[in-house]
Amino acid sequence: MNTFKFPVINPLLHSELRLKIMVALDSLESADFMYLCQITDSTRGNLSSQIATLKEAGYLEVLKSGTLGRFSRTVCRITNRGREALSAYEEGLRHLFEQEIPTQDEQQVINQ
Amino acid sequence: MNRIEELDMITRVRGEVMNQKELTGENLFLAWGYPTAIVLFLEFVALMVWNEDWCNWLWAGIPLIGTPLMIYFLNEDYERTHHRTLEQNVILQMWIFIGFASCVGGAAMGFANVFQLCYCSYQCLLCGLGCFMTGIILHFRPKIICGIISSALSVIPLFLQGDLWPWQLLIASVIATIALIIPGHLFHRYVKTIRNQ
Repeated sequence: MNTFKFPVINPLLHSELRLKIMVALDSLESADFMYLCQITDSTRGNLSSQIATLKEAGYLEVLKSGTLGRFSRTVCRITNRGREALSAYEEGLRHLFEQEIPTQDEQQVINQ
Repeated sequence: MNRIEELDMITRVRGEVMNQKELTGENLFLAWGYPTAIVLFLEFVALMVWNEDWCNWLWAGIPLIGTPLMIYFLNEDYERTHHRTLEQNVILQMWIFIGFASCVGGAAMGFANVFQLCYCSYQCLLCGLGCFMTGIILHFRPKIICGIISSALSVIPLFLQGDLWPWQLLIASVIATIALIIPGHLFHRYVKTIRNQ
């Protein structure tokens, strides 16, 4: 009998916006709030609250540096813990993708 | 989102970040190159004309002019792109280390009384290596070539000892032109061309 174990999926990263933030920062050394707003295509309020959640989990470092016009510039940087969590999350997804039998709809998407 | 959409989204965001990566730092080589070459040349002229102790302190003009210029251009780049890439960070850290090694090395040579013997050579070698490494990281061939040439030329000051010591400064000024100013201008033009495409 085929025994398939579901990998544990990190609930913190199982949110579209939080995952987008983490992926964007994983490819960079640092990025400011404006950049993240644009790359994630999100509103300032929503982005701000998700960054706070990720910071609380220790996945991001948030620094206030210099000024941008009238506002202080918020610079975000992914931490080692964040990188590890993202890598484990991606690994889990790939594992699921390889092991699980796709549904008919998913099979169509793969075939495309 | 299901797992396929999530994996697709991860790939898409990575791709977007890669597409938005820009070559920056086109002014940094020039910000250090011109002060270095000009100050070293002025120090050489001052030593030839007056040959007094104060002439030896003119070198302090290099970090005094270069550091604020570098900070200004780094801020300008960040304000335009709103991000810093891993490569840019590696290059920045490497040059900070080179600056630090240059200061510590200079102080150590001063205490060991070999400053006039080999400091110019040491600093030129560090500049050449920095230029070479930057070229390797950015895949920019002129910087690689200029780095190799300036590293090779850095042995020349070792042959100018005794009364010929001030000439080391002139050679160092020429090497700074090869290691920083020439590749700086070529890189500047390259970045502008890419940005206008």
